[in-house]
Order: sequence, then C-alpha cells, then structure tokens
Amino acid sequence: MIKFIEKIEGEAKLNFSFDEHKKIDFVDIEFFSTRNIEKILENKPALDALVINPRVCGICGHAHLIATTKALEDCYKNIEVPNNAKILRELTLNFEIMQNHFKWFYLSILPLLGERQHLLKATFPSQILAKAIAVVGGQYPHTSYSLVGGVVCDITVMDILKITHLIDEVMKYFEKNLLVDESEEFLNYKNIENILNKDGDLIKTLLKFKQNSWQHLGRSYGRFVVFGQNSYFNSGKSIKTTVSKNLNFANIKEQTNQNSYAKNVTYKNKYYEVGPLSRAMLNKIPLIKDSHRKYGDSIFSRILARMYEIPQLLNHSKKLLDELDLDKPFYIEPKIDISKISGSGYGCVEAARGTLLHKVKLHNGIIEKYDIITPTQWNLSNGTKEKLGVSQKAMIGLSDINLAEIVFKSFDVCSVCTTH
Amino acid sequence: MYDKKLKIIWLTAISCNGNSHSFLNYPHLEQFIDDFEFIYHPLIYSKYSLQDLINKDIECDILLLEGAISPEFKKMDEPIINLVDKYAHKAKKIITVGTCATFGGIFSQSDYAYTTGLHFDKENPTFLFKSLKHKTISISGCPIQPEVLANTIYAIQKNMDLKLDNYLRPKEFFAYTIHNGCTRNEYFEYKVDNHTFGKKEGCMFYEHGCQAPYTNGSCNKILWNGVNSKTRAGLPCMGCTSPDFPKQNLFKTKKNMGIPQNLPLGVGKRTYLTLAGITKAFSIKRLEEDLF
Amino acid sequence: MLTKKEQKKEKIIRNALLLFAKNGFYATTIPDIASTLKMSVGNMYNYFKSKDILAKEIIKYISAYLGSKIKKINEEDISTKEKTKKIIEMYFKTAMSKPEMIDYFLRIYLSNREVFLDGCEGMICVNEFVIEVMIYFEEGVKSGDLRDQDFFSAFGLFMGYLGGMVFLKGENILPKELNDYIDDITYNIYKALSV
Repeated sequence: MIKFIEKIEGEAKLNFSFDEHKKIDFVDIEFFSTRNIEKILENKPALDALVINPRVCGICGHAHLIATTKALEDCYKNIEVPNNAKILRELTLNFEIMQNHFKWFYLSILPLLGERQHLLKATFPSQILAKAIAVVGGQYPHTSYSLVGGVVCDITVMDILKITHLIDEVMKYFEKNLLVDESEEFLNYKNIENILNKDGDLIKTLLKFKQNSWQHLGRSYGRFVVFGQNSYFNSGKSIKTTVSKNLNFANIKEQTNQNSYAKNVTYKNKYYEVGPLSRAMLNKIPLIKDSHRKYGDSIFSRILARMYEIPQLLNHSKKLLDELDLDKPFYIEPKIDISKISGSGYGCVEAARGTLLHKVKLHNGIIEKYDIITPTQWNLSNGTKEKLGVSQKAMIGLSDINLAEIVFKSFDVCSVCTTH
Repeated sequence: MYDKKLKIIWLTAISCNGNSHSFLNYPHLEQFIDDFEFIYHPLIYSKYSLQDLINKDIECDILLLEGAISPEFKKMDEPIINLVDKYAHKAKKIITVGTCATFGGIFSQSDYAYTTGLHFDKENPTFLFKSLKHKTISISGCPIQPEVLANTIYAIQKNMDLKLDNYLRPKEFFAYTIHNGCTRNEYFEYKVDNHTFGKKEGCMFYEHGCQAPYTNGSCNKILWNGVNSKTRAGLPCMGCTSPDFPKQNLFKTKKNMGIPQNLPLGVGKRTYLTLAGITKAFSIKRLEEDLF
Repeated sequence: MLTKKEQKKEKIIRNALLLFAKNGFYATTIPDIASTLKMSVGNMYNYFKSKDILAKEIIKYISAYLGSKIKKINEEDISTKEKTKKIIEMYFKTAMSKPEMIDYFLRIYLSNREVFLDGCEGMICVNEFVIEVMIYFEEGVKSGDLRDQDFFSAFGLFMGYLGGMVFLKGENILPKELNDYIDDITYNIYKALSV
C-alpha cells in the first residue's frame, strides 16, 4: 500500500507491506528527486560554497552554512577563528533550530492529531527568531555571513540588546503557549508527571498521546548519536542508556539506495537516530531521560525532546550573548589565502533535525569533491527487512498507516535536504 | 468588490523551499490569509493536496511557481511541466517566485536536462511557455522578500497596472539597486576601499565582490526581517536577483588592471573613473577611522 | 566652440609653456608672460589669479590634450598591440611637435610637486590622461591580450619607458630619432604587458 507524504519539507512516498495480522512488516521509503548540489559545487572556488550551500534547504540552510564554514576551516588545519565568531555562529544556529521546531510542531504535527493547523502560532515565534538571525547575519533565510576566518559582522551593544529582547519574547511565547507554568522551574523538572498537570499546546499534545495509549508508539532501536559538539551539545553515542564519547567520522558510511534518491547512513554498520532526542540523551536532560525510561524512543519522547529543547537553547543563547567581547575581533583574515589551500576537511554541526556533516576536498582553493550527509538520511535510511532503518523500525507493527505517518513525521522529515 | 477570496496555488518545482519559508516571515501574514486562500501550498494547510492537484482539475486565480523547471523533473511521478501547463492556463496571473523559477538560478546547474526558469534561461527568453508571458510577473531573489511577493499579489487583486521591466519584474521593487539605502554608502561615494570583514565600516565593492551597485532589488529599501540587510551586516551582495546568479568567485571583485569589471548600473567607465580619481585623491579622516 | 575668454586662456597657456621651456619655471614670471602677449599684467590676472593657478591649469590642459588623443585610439576597432603602437607614436609625435608639453609634464609637474599640492591632489589634474591609459589597459586585459596586474606596475612601465626616451632625446643623448625606436619599444612594452 502506497502513501504519499506531503507537507514535510518536500514529499516522500511510503510503500507499506503488511503481515497476516494486517500489521506493517516493512516500509519502503522513497524520495523523489535529487538536485545534485554536491556536483554543482565541484570545480567552484571554495568560498562560493558559502553561498551555494545555504540553498540546500529553505528551513535549515543556516546549518549548512555553518557546516560549510567549518569544513573549509578544517582544510587549513591550524586557522585562528575569533571566539566572538564562534559564539555568533552557535547563536544564529540555535535560532534556526528553534524556528524549525516551532514550525514542525504547529505545521506538521498538530494537524496530524486532528487539530486545525495554527499557521500563526508557528510563524509568530519563527519570525522573531528569523529577525534575531538577521540582526547578526543580515537576513534569513539564506545569509552567508559566516566565512573562513570568522563572521562578516561587527555587532554593537545595541544589537545585543535587540537580540536579548527577541530571545525574551520567544521565551514568553513558549511559556504562554507551549508549556504554561508559573513556577519557572520547568527547566529543572525530573519527572514527566511534573509537567503533565500543566497547560499549553505541548502538554495537551502529550496528554492526547497518553489518552490514546500512544505513548509507546514509534519506538526504534534506542540508539542515539550526536556528532556536532559545541558549547551546549555533547557529542557521543548512547545505546539505551550506555554513553560512549569516542566517535570517529571515518566510521560513518553512506550507501546508495536502489529505490530512492536518498543515501543510507550508518555508524559502524548500524543505523542510529539523530536529532533532539539523541541530543537530550547525550546531554542527560533529566525530564527527557525520564520520558525515555518510561516510554522509550517513542513519538512521545521525540515530541517532548524537540520542544523542550527550545527553552534550553533560549537560556543557553543568553549565556552566549554574555560571553561576547565587543573589543575583540569578529574576523581574522587567514594567513594563507584559500586559493593556496589544498587538503580536505570535515564540518559538523547539530542542525534542527540532528547531526549534519559536510566533507570537502580542495585543490588550490578549488572544490574537488563535496559530500553532505544530512540528519534525515540518518533517521530515514531505507534499510532492508533484515536490517531496518531507524524510522522503518519505528513504523513496524502498526496497523494504521495514519499512525505510521505520525511516526514518520515525528523525525521531522526534510526531504529537501535529503535529496540535496 | 472582493466578495470572494482569490484562490492561489503555490507549486514547487526544483527548489529548496527557501521562498516558501521566506514568505512565512511576512509580518502581516494574518491579514494575508484572511484576504487570499491557498488552495494548495507545500507547507500551509490547504483544501487540496498535491495528489489532488495532479489527479483533479482545480480552478485557481493565481499560480505561484517556486523553483526551476525541467522536462525531466517530476512531482510524485507527474512531470512538473504538465502541472505548470495545466494550472498556468487556468490562472489569471502567474508569478514566478524566486530566481530559480524566474531564471533557473542555482538549480539550472543541476543534472536535469534543460533546467530553466519559466520564461528565461538566465537572461535569454525560453519558448515553451511563451503564450503565458503576457500574464506572468517575475519576482526574482534567492529568496524573495516576503513583502515584495505579498504586495505584488495584492496589486493583482486590486487590478493595479504594475509597470514591469524586461524580465517581467515589477519596477516598484526592481527599478532600484541593492546599493540604494546601504549604510556603507559613504565609503562607496568617497572610494574608501580598505574594507575587511568583521567591521561595520567600509564598502565591499572594491575587493569583496559586492554586486549591490549593479543588482536590481529592494534589499536596502525594504529591510530583511524588518531589521537588516546583507550589505549592512557586512556581507557582499551576491547578486541573487540577477539572471546569472550565482556567478563565480563571489567573495572577490573581478578587476582588470585594477578597474572593476562590473560598474554601477548605467555608469560609464569614464564617468566612474573620473569620479573615482577625484575622490581617491583626498583622504577623509572620518571615513578612514572606526565609527566608534 | 570655445568662448573668447577660453580662447585667450588657451593662448596664454601655450605662450607660458614656451617660456617655461625656454627660461625655466621659476625664472619665468607673470609679467614675462604678459609682455610676450602684449597684455598688461593687470589684465593677465583676470585670467589667472597667480602663477600657481596657471601652473595647475597648464597641466590639466596637457592632460586633456593627451587624454583626447588616447581616447580616439581607444575607440578604434583595432588590436591591443596596434593600440600600443599608436599610443607610443602619438606620444613621440607630441614630444617632437610640441616638446614644451612633454617637457612641462616631465620637468615641471613631476619635479615641482609642492606647486601642485593644493588643488592637484593625487592624479586629479592628470585625470583625463590617466583614465584613458587605464581604459587602454583594462580593455587589453578584458580582450585577453594583456596580463591582469596592479595598475601602477603597468603604468610605471609604460610611462616611465616613454618618459625616459623623451628625456634622453631632450638631453641630446639619443643617436637616432624617436620615431626610429617605435617598433622596438612597441615590441618591448607589449611583450612585457601581454599574457
């Protein structure tokens, strides 16, 4: 049975097969097209990738920009990047992650649960967050303000004030609409029951899952990985609750896929989940760990992890703002011009949907080879019956394909990115 | 007079969805969705699905096309060309949303054969949909500015007579250059050419490839996200509204023996060099120093 | 058409140029110039308020003269190599027929910068000439004939060479006429500047 999935970033085709009990026993995931960004990049001057790569994706292009910058800087091996630039890159990427989460929740998930789509509830906070990126980077989407050696801007105390107000506004919005809680303690909760008696769209959604006894729905391997280490996210992998810090990019393998334009991705030959739930597991966020303990890597945990990331990132973003030193530079011109650089580099960040990896090979500043592995490739790898991908495994055993669609979308699918 | 809302189909072809997301940043979205109905949209709730669009015959007033087209590209196994053909003929007006839909843009370099905009392959006219040219408005930009799209749609609703340029773009928005309104204008006027990144001072035209003086658009007139622009922030204009976007070597000004290859729109070489020669002879202390 | 006043100004400039070349810049006074034109000194000041102002007007006059000649060559539909030769021919022809002009440029303008500090900053007073040389270079690079390089490294090579030859001629050191060197100089300059 075939189901077309729409209103994700792009479209996908799910081909379900059922066993004798009318339960899903396999799902073939197909993405329709590819735009060959990697080939477009070949033979172009290195810095042009900073302009082309944000155009991989309209909703998470900024993650592609930061990954590109890091991959190019990695080709230098020892390049000096000012601390202010590192802070701003993290900050604007945080903003992008959050605008994405709001859109996912209100545009993709709620309508699946029988709610009308609340367009403005998504756009109100996402517009504020886009504005905060624009204060630093000039515009959103599709700025290229981060470049080899730093960032192009030179922000002032007034800009910091503006951004602070925007962050406060989003926090207020979150507390008013998603999780209504007077106690201001909600970031320290350790127990799911602490929040389920509150109000707000997030809580109502979680309760709906409980009422339908869906809170265990959509479980997969319970294998999580995070590569994009930064001042907030911890990299590492976690299997059930065993955490290991040692990761090696060389163990990531990409395989082409017979039925789909998207390539499959494994770490040491195993499929892993990436994204907010993985990040919360690696960051040992008590509330999410509790959800995982009770309901596993279910849709319930995924939704909670994704939306609960917003107040964490808002708080952390304010700390980042405090660490800026306006007397210090935002950009340090690299000692060697990029046109003289030959070598290869990795750039890895946490995007909204999880780990995003860029690999580049330069010869005299010209791109010889470019490779992008997106989060959706991890989560939506199209495996075989014997070796199912993460989202495939999560859909097995369901009998209702509408529920399967919710499971599928709980990974926040970006077909656009995946078919770069 | 407008007792019924105009029905809009937003169709995406070979694209990154950047225009869809940029449009979600339109500040008066609430009013907009009161005034118009998206009967199909890739993200926003709509009466019809993409499958309906393919299988049914739906009436629409305005067709918005995002992304480049190619005879090889399909949406759910349906050639995009067929979809465009079907709804473009029904629609009273067509808007090509973004540089890809208008000129082919970045994805004209993808592997699909004959990837172009609806009416242009870079600056050259194409012929497949020539008969629709009279009812098309182009809005280039990678991505589009939300207000530019919204107010063009309102202009259609109100039957306004929009003057268009040679690429069918509304002159209201595209008669200006990106340079108009840039906060770094003084550095350009007085040819202070010592720009480095990470500074609020300096002009990117001389060294860092800024295309603002010869690119059409309203980026510094209608600010992005209501607050800023690339050039104000310190990022060169990449010429994303132009037929040949993206050019190559975007962070470097192409010069021939020190003279920029591309000069400000409509400014002759001798005019430019005379002015540059005069201003460069003087040094203006205020502009050589940091603002504060 | 030039106005009467402009015609008179030009006449003063041409006479002044001759006197400067003959007697030297410092030794020549405004009354000297007035007397060769049979003008009163007072009337002379109606045209030029001081010798310094006159000096600046003269260099602008020369720059405009040379600039207009090169502009004509730039606008011809010929190869960069032919343009190179024509510019050299034109420069030497001017040096032979109006030696006082090139002389003024080399010996007075370039050697007495203090006179030109105020009002002739940078290359303002020689703008018309420099711009045409720039355009000659730029079009040469664009057409793929000349190598892209810093403007001044090319300008110095070109003008330094020609100026040097005219200087040697003026010192009576050159054994042959300037015209006899045109082919070799064209070859040398073009070879040095081409891709």
